[in-house]
Amino acid sequence: MSVENNAKSDTRPVYKATTFQHTSKSNNKKRAWKSLKQIISAERTLPWPEDYVHYSSINAPPSFKPAEKFSDLSGLAAPYTDPQTRLRFANKEEYATLIGLPMDITAGYLALRGASSIVG
Amino acid sequence: MDILEFKDLKPVPDIIYDYNESYNGIPVIIDNGSYHCRVGWLNQNEPSLIFRNLIAKPRKERIKKDCPEGSQTPQLQVGNDIVNIEAVRFQLKTQFDRNVVTHFEAQEHLFDYTFTHLGINTEKCVPHPVVITEALLNPNSSRQLMSELLFECYGIPSLAYGIDTLFAYHFTHNKPDENALIVSLGYHTIEIIPVLNNCTIFVNARRINTGGYHVISFLHRILQLKYPAHANAITLSRAEELLHSICAVAIDYKEELLRWTDTEYYENNIKRIQLPYSVASTSALTVEQQKERKRELAKRLAEINARKREERLAEDEEKLNQLLTIQEMIDVDDDDVDVIDKVLTDHQIKNVEDLHKNINLLHSRIERTKEKIVAANNVEEITVDEPTPAKQTKFNKMVFENEKAMHVFLQNVKKMRQDILNKKSARKQRRQDMAKRRTAAGQERMRIISQLARKEKGHDDFGLRDEDWDIYKTISREGGDSDSEAENDKLMELDDIIRAHEPSEADESLTPGESYQLHIGIERYRGPELLFKPYMMGSSEAGLTEVIGYVLSLFNAKDQLKLAANVVLTGGLANLSGLRERIQSDLISIRPFKSYLHVGIISNPSLSAWYGMKKWIKSADLKKHFVTRQEYDECGSEYFKVHIASNLYVPSPRGHIIDICD
Repeated sequence: MSVENNAKSDTRPVYKATTFQHTSKSNNKKRAWKSLKQIISAERTLPWPEDYVHYSSINAPPSFKPAEKFSDLSGLAAPYTDPQTRLRFANKEEYATLIGLPMDITAGYLALRGASSIVG
Repeated sequence: MDILEFKDLKPVPDIIYDYNESYNGIPVIIDNGSYHCRVGWLNQNEPSLIFRNLIAKPRKERIKKDCPEGSQTPQLQVGNDIVNIEAVRFQLKTQFDRNVVTHFEAQEHLFDYTFTHLGINTEKCVPHPVVITEALLNPNSSRQLMSELLFECYGIPSLAYGIDTLFAYHFTHNKPDENALIVSLGYHTIEIIPVLNNCTIFVNARRINTGGYHVISFLHRILQLKYPAHANAITLSRAEELLHSICAVAIDYKEELLRWTDTEYYENNIKRIQLPYSVASTSALTVEQQKERKRELAKRLAEINARKREERLAEDEEKLNQLLTIQEMIDVDDDDVDVIDKVLTDHQIKNVEDLHKNINLLHSRIERTKEKIVAANNVEEITVDEPTPAKQTKFNKMVFENEKAMHVFLQNVKKMRQDILNKKSARKQRRQDMAKRRTAAGQERMRIISQLARKEKGHDDFGLRDEDWDIYKTISREGGDSDSEAENDKLMELDDIIRAHEPSEADESLTPGESYQLHIGIERYRGPELLFKPYMMGSSEAGLTEVIGYVLSLFNAKDQLKLAANVVLTGGLANLSGLRERIQSDLISIRPFKSYLHVGIISNPSLSAWYGMKKWIKSADLKKHFVTRQEYDECGSEYFKVHIASNLYVPSPRGHIIDICD
């Protein structure tokens, strides 16, 4: 511990205050910093004035248009879906490659599209 | 067709600038972006430091392993110190969560880096006012800790906050109109900020949580999935390079996709990118070399063992001699008990009997070691005499009596190979059929299962014959046998034989490195398209054009006209080719017929925020816009002064200060 302190003070730049500690960190070094999500939810519970605009209140609205379907492999417009792997494909050549793909690749494509959840 | 190569640019470590009297009290300008941080003095034209807002912190266990004495302090790399970013990819940390600073220890490291490289060497304080950017509608708790850090740790005299995008628009755009719709395309977020009469309309601003970072990782992932063999060579920094070098925004994405289905267009527009590769040495040589190396290793091991044995022998003999002299001493004169006792204890021996026992033990041990040495020498001779028999010649060319015999043999080998391949594909087909319900195979399987499940009271003779159990093989999806290891081995062996006897032309026509090329076609447009279609990566948020349309719809028709007449793009991604044209054409389609519309790009979108801040300080009244240390002490750590390019100051409700830690 003392060794660590020595090392730290050696490298500490001269212009820094020697006593400074992050106030909210002081009691326990192991505590993690709050994530943005936690900050936002904590902030929302406070009694703000009516017209206050939060960081979270300017989130973009959800899309009102239906999502277009594109082939997972090539990116072309994809009219078909393979019922087994759930991958989308544009033509029969793509289907031929698609059925030969190993599981990790098909799962990777689905995860990238955010379609890997069983429920969705 | 040219073949492009990755430049893999590495950051150059920053120098430590000179610091002297002339900098007395000159403000420091920090554009703290989630991608780059740009820092400079007010009296300079360009920022002195531009670095990635990243630190690479080696993990604790790792440090212990690397330097067990703990003498070396942990090597923390900050900003441009990180020369090879891919090497430390998993240790990277940033102070940002999205575009908000949340990790203030990391921020402290980055400020240390900043002020050290500016050359500041004053005792216990940084005697310069600081202007720093923050996120649009930055949560108070984040700002509070930032002020705390700057005032209390670095002892700065005064501080001002502002929004990078607004600095850029109000102070670097030529003739900034008082009404504008600013679109800031950042690394983590895209912000759409309406400004009316030089007033930021915060209520109607919107933020899309998709940015350059997402485009880069999307591109990275689709390329990795397209080329699984090169997954490790396709790195995030290379994806980033691709985004800036060859990617573009399609003006009409659907039309662009249609064009790519044309082979001629494909051939003309595809980009070939060469990955670094090394020419692999031919396998025939390596087999020989490997054997040679193995033999050498074995030889060396044998030598080491022999040396050890010799040493042990010498040691034992020496000890035996000593003990023998002691025995002689005892034999010669029994009188001098004291001396003998002393000598015995020196050799850790209790009494004379023990001495005899030890001597016998040593005798037998020496005997054994000698035997071993002899045996080992014999073995060595054998191995040297007989260098690796039969096995080695297996794949080497067999000798045939004539051409015809070889031909027949080859034909046979090829047939065997084809048989295995056929078996494999039949199995694959069967697996596929089994998985589907409607095929004949699938229905047959269901029939058998239902028959098995049927219970008939009285006579159940299943299992009387051994063949009964085979039914389970028939109904298993694998069809009883799967691609076995032995089969794969055999296939490889056959391939080797065929290659050895008739080298095919296909192998040689392949120029070295061609298999190390990435062909990037639609991906050039597919990556940036993510900005307009975040659902391509599973986000439910609306895309860029839709949100711009949405923001406009929040205003009355008159204000909509004012805003649409001056759409300004800023942020690092604004430079993407085709982006301005795309937004323009998309907006035309959603705006009323023939209404006026203009989309422009701010000059130098990456650095404009920094230039804007510089200009702002020059025009601003320092007293009016900077919070001094005294004001900080009086008004609390979340206090700041509002100006044209800042957020709104809304103090947190009393008694509800948020702890930013868990």
